[in-house]
Amino acid sequence: MHEIGVRETVRFLGLTFNIETLHMTWITMLIVAVIACLAVRNLQAVPRGWQNFIEMVVLWLHDQIDAMMGSRGRFLAPFIVTLFLFILTSNLLGLVPTMASPTNDLNTTLGLALLVIVMVHALGLYFKGTHYIAHFFQPVPVFVVINAIEEIAKPITLAFRLFGNILAGEILIIVLLKLMPIWMPIPSVLWLAFSIFIGGVQAVIFTMLSTAYLANAIKESNE
Amino acid sequence: MIEINATILAQILNFIILVLFLRAVAYKPVCRLLEQRSQKIQGDLDKAEADRREAQQTLAQYRQTLQEANVKAQEIIDNAEKTARDAHDAKILETKRDVEQIKKTAQEEIQRERNQAMEQMRSEVVALSLLAAGKVLGKNIDNKENDRLINDFINQLDKEKLGDLSC
Repeated sequence: MHEIGVRETVRFLGLTFNIETLHMTWITMLIVAVIACLAVRNLQAVPRGWQNFIEMVVLWLHDQIDAMMGSRGRFLAPFIVTLFLFILTSNLLGLVPTMASPTNDLNTTLGLALLVIVMVHALGLYFKGTHYIAHFFQPVPVFVVINAIEEIAKPITLAFRLFGNILAGEILIIVLLKLMPIWMPIPSVLWLAFSIFIGGVQAVIFTMLSTAYLANAIKESNE
Repeated sequence: MIEINATILAQILNFIILVLFLRAVAYKPVCRLLEQRSQKIQGDLDKAEADRREAQQTLAQYRQTLQEANVKAQEIIDNAEKTARDAHDAKILETKRDVEQIKKTAQEEIQRERNQAMEQMRSEVVALSLLAAGKVLGKNIDNKENDRLINDFINQLDKEKLGDLSC
């Protein structure tokens, strides 16, 4: 991460890949997987210590899902958890020297956003059928334009918000390090701390918005 | 800088793999554990309720048995008392009868003794009278006449004196 905006690419099967993003993604996946394995290691019927926290999180998530989309949204719980853990780990990974966030690549964020939006529409169609299509034309058919803009805006805002925040954070770290002499680390340390905060906040925002969009598609229509 | 290429597909694939992995490795076991625990708690509660009900039933049964036993014991005691009273009454009756018998026997005995004594006395009196009369008259009268006289005399005695003699 050295020259901002220039990405090393490889060609594979006639397709172009940003190899650094992929490497970082794999590292992130590994970290998340290890954390998950450690978290659920040695589960016991009588919970102790760490297991209490894991169970609390799962139950809290179930409560949230039940409240937002009814119990038929339960199958999305692992998706939501993974989304949060993956984005959080990605964001924080970029703050480690020599590492980069997978989320500082638009391909990652847009990929996640598109995945979410495709899921929203697919689940909407699956659970509500034609009623789901009809609701784009309400209250009057003209609204389909506004609704279409909204639906297109959803993945774009999701993707660019995350991408912009993380990329800006990393750029500014580099800029601050270059601007300030090395014996004056306070601004860059402050910015680093702020970036950690931003990383968490952005992970929460992305996850929450995705959940809200999914909830819209899944919950019973008698609102 | 903002360049979209095939990485987007790879990232989607990566993420889906991660989701599936976490679902299999972390989420499912936790959910299964929670489910098992809630089932176990439910089962324990049900069992406790069933046990409680059974205990109550057993207690009621015991109470009833105890009640019956009490009633039966009372019955037995009553029976025993009745039997004892009957035996007692019978004994008293028998004793009374014995006493009566003894009394009767004794009276008969006394009567007999008395009669015997009277008879004896009469003989003595006859003998004495004869002796006395013989001495007074100085001569023996005809034996037949003698006996008649004496018997008359004694019979009169019997009627007037000895009959009133209390024994």
